[in-house]
Amino acid sequence: MDQDDVLTILKILMIGETNVGKSSILLRFIEDEFNDTMQNTVGMDYKSKKITIDGNTVKLAIWDTAGQERFRTLTPNYYRDGQGAILVYDVTDRSTFTKLEMWLNELYTYCNKTDIVKMVVGNKIDLPDRQVSTAEGLQFARRHQTLYIESSAKTADGIKCCFEELVQKIIQTPGLWDSYAYKPFYTANGVSGPRNRTGRRGLKLTDDYEPDNSYSSCYCNLI
Amino acid sequence: MDDDLPTEYDVIVVGTGMTESIVAAAASRIGKRVLHLDSNEYYGGLWATFNFDGFQKWMEDLKISKHDSKDFKPDLENGETFLKASNQYSTVENIAEEWFISHEADLPLVLTKDTQTDGSNDTSSLTTEKTDEDKNDKKETKHWSVDRIKKEYRRFNIDLAPKLLYARGELVELLISSNIARYAEFRAVSRVATCMDGKLIQVPCSRADVFANKTVSVIEKRMLMKLLTSCMDQGADSPEFDGYHDKTFLEYLNTKNLTPIVNHYVMQAIAMSTDKTSCRDGVNRTKHFLNSLGRYGNTPFLWPMYGSGELPQCFCRLCAVFGGVYCLKRHLDGVVVSEDKCKAILTGKQRLSLEHLVVGQGHLPPEIVASTGENQISRGIFITDRSIMQGEKENLTLLYYPPEESDQEAVTVIELGPSTNACPQGLFMVHMTCKRTKTAQEDLAYVVKRFLCAKTLESNVSRTPTDSHTQTVATDQHQAQEGDKGANEGTIENPMPQVLWSLYLNLPASDIKLNESAPSNIHLCSGPDLDLDFDFAVNQAKEIFKAMYPSEDFLPRAPDPEEIILEGEEIPGPKFEGDNTSGENEKQDAEKAEKEE
Repeated sequence: MDQDDVLTILKILMIGETNVGKSSILLRFIEDEFNDTMQNTVGMDYKSKKITIDGNTVKLAIWDTAGQERFRTLTPNYYRDGQGAILVYDVTDRSTFTKLEMWLNELYTYCNKTDIVKMVVGNKIDLPDRQVSTAEGLQFARRHQTLYIESSAKTADGIKCCFEELVQKIIQTPGLWDSYAYKPFYTANGVSGPRNRTGRRGLKLTDDYEPDNSYSSCYCNLI
Repeated sequence: MDDDLPTEYDVIVVGTGMTESIVAAAASRIGKRVLHLDSNEYYGGLWATFNFDGFQKWMEDLKISKHDSKDFKPDLENGETFLKASNQYSTVENIAEEWFISHEADLPLVLTKDTQTDGSNDTSSLTTEKTDEDKNDKKETKHWSVDRIKKEYRRFNIDLAPKLLYARGELVELLISSNIARYAEFRAVSRVATCMDGKLIQVPCSRADVFANKTVSVIEKRMLMKLLTSCMDQGADSPEFDGYHDKTFLEYLNTKNLTPIVNHYVMQAIAMSTDKTSCRDGVNRTKHFLNSLGRYGNTPFLWPMYGSGELPQCFCRLCAVFGGVYCLKRHLDGVVVSEDKCKAILTGKQRLSLEHLVVGQGHLPPEIVASTGENQISRGIFITDRSIMQGEKENLTLLYYPPEESDQEAVTVIELGPSTNACPQGLFMVHMTCKRTKTAQEDLAYVVKRFLCAKTLESNVSRTPTDSHTQTVATDQHQAQEGDKGANEGTIENPMPQVLWSLYLNLPASDIKLNESAPSNIHLCSGPDLDLDFDFAVNQAKEIFKAMYPSEDFLPRAPDPEEIILEGEEIPGPKFEGDNTSGENEKQDAEKAEKEE
């Protein structure tokens, strides 16, 4: 598929207590796999995937917590420029549901985009001994004006839908994303250009960064 | 219990400052079990960046007596000694905060033009605004008041240790080679300024700049090139500099028959030297400056978006991705020492065993400290209403200001605009840093007086911007104030920035040394130093890592997400083929995505 078909890249954050299944949801969505014995998240940074909604193809960069949520120590850096957040709780563990307030608070504190789209996900609905009812989850979502869905990373229930609805809402939110940030990257001969020179986002450090022509000459070139 | 940590580690790192975080990432990266603690509830220690609210809280917390663990009686085995940690080596002093604007948001409305951060501002608007203030391309904006700044606290990012990166400095190279660069974004410093004959001028860094510069003659340009070539080619070891090893950089320059302006550029803007700087240092700094030109922007310098405090966090993220355990708000109570080895630390009633302890200066037991160091840093932070040097677009400015009198220290000024996320549209954030001699306020006074208007603003005066990037305060008001002082040059076309809020503080510039009785597996990390860049911290981290793991690679490139195979995934599952892309394309996508994010 041609790069030009991608409308934009969206940064999606996975948030919630330890062991609610954040990485499992991510893994199910990206690889369509489930691992029953998955330990605490190690080596999970972010994953990317293309998704097409209403004819628009966007690329998602879905960031995992890297286990830093365990002692509630996510870095503010994690939240920067996030456009969508997936707040996960475990329907069989009420404490993970009550902690959502705290996570929403963190999101408000550190996320620089005030209109970031939030999706509350009640995960592990395949398990018995449910402690949080659908009605409660819905009520919470309504109170905090978030999207809501219930899912099971194990059976894949609700997973795809979760991301699709989130992306749909983001695309419908003007000002939250811009295709501009993406396009200049593939100019002329497909080489990465200095796209960030004037954009709202900063520049990324890469080894093969090609500065704009007006910048490329310095004292040395004069000699 | 919820907060119980695992109890065995290879490396325990206490403090989330720059050096500590790099070491933590490097150890985790090669598979060591790392625990990273900080007694604060935020990352970065004295390297942190706060929003306005967080900064106020930080100052409040300094007033409250620090954590004390004197009643703590650990259970020790035979031959073990317990050394209590102390925070006496990270004292912040002489905090002075002042507001120069009114509290309430009841001021009359003024008009400012809605602008983009990309700064493509048409210069014609300047004259337009003067003649007709009600132009239709402006929107109404309220004055800045104390209330408004506090209400919009999230739009400020205030650095305790503002530092720049040389485009070819140690940190940039490390961020790229380790693939940690993906966690951060930067802005290029758009101009290097210098003060000449009482006026601020932009130092030409690019060829275009040099050609466009009318203050330097063709002969001077050649002169400059020749000098810079000799610095560039061989550095301080070149025969060119034989005989100047014990002389100052100024003495060397004086032998070159440079014109005053060329001399000024080289001394004050490129080498950032005083008349005491040694020839060697001057040449090396010049070389560093030139090396870094032309890589990312108009000048050799980069500034991290959201502030310097982001960078330690990037390394922490990598550490966590590779399994490092993170716990903030966790005090180090002390260390358990036995037979010249640190065996464990005690924290929150837990005993955690370790092979190596990496510790920031704020957590050392006094028993192992030899000297506390002499250097301290004076800092001034100012929120202003316009740039110290107005331009056609928003600028990120570096200014090195050498002392005017012999009892003053050279001051580094970094001015950040809204596009760095340091402050909202219409405001600027000015950071001043110098070596401490008296209090921060006294040390910086001579520079503040020259560039900023730090007087309380009368609330009943209506103020009009003349330039959309820089102003929320009226020219009239400024001119009146300037007139009163009978002061500076060019006030009519470029009034001094009005200070809305100022803060002074003194920080330790750590050069603490451990004594001989310190266990060899305790590694000390310094706090922020006086240098402009991060190289000191990067080099210190490399040394510590090498002392711990001499044969291991220091932060080899971290794989991209697509290259990682998850734990327990013995055989890679069927390759996911979505969206008609082949595996190869996906990998390319990933690489491109990474550059973009």
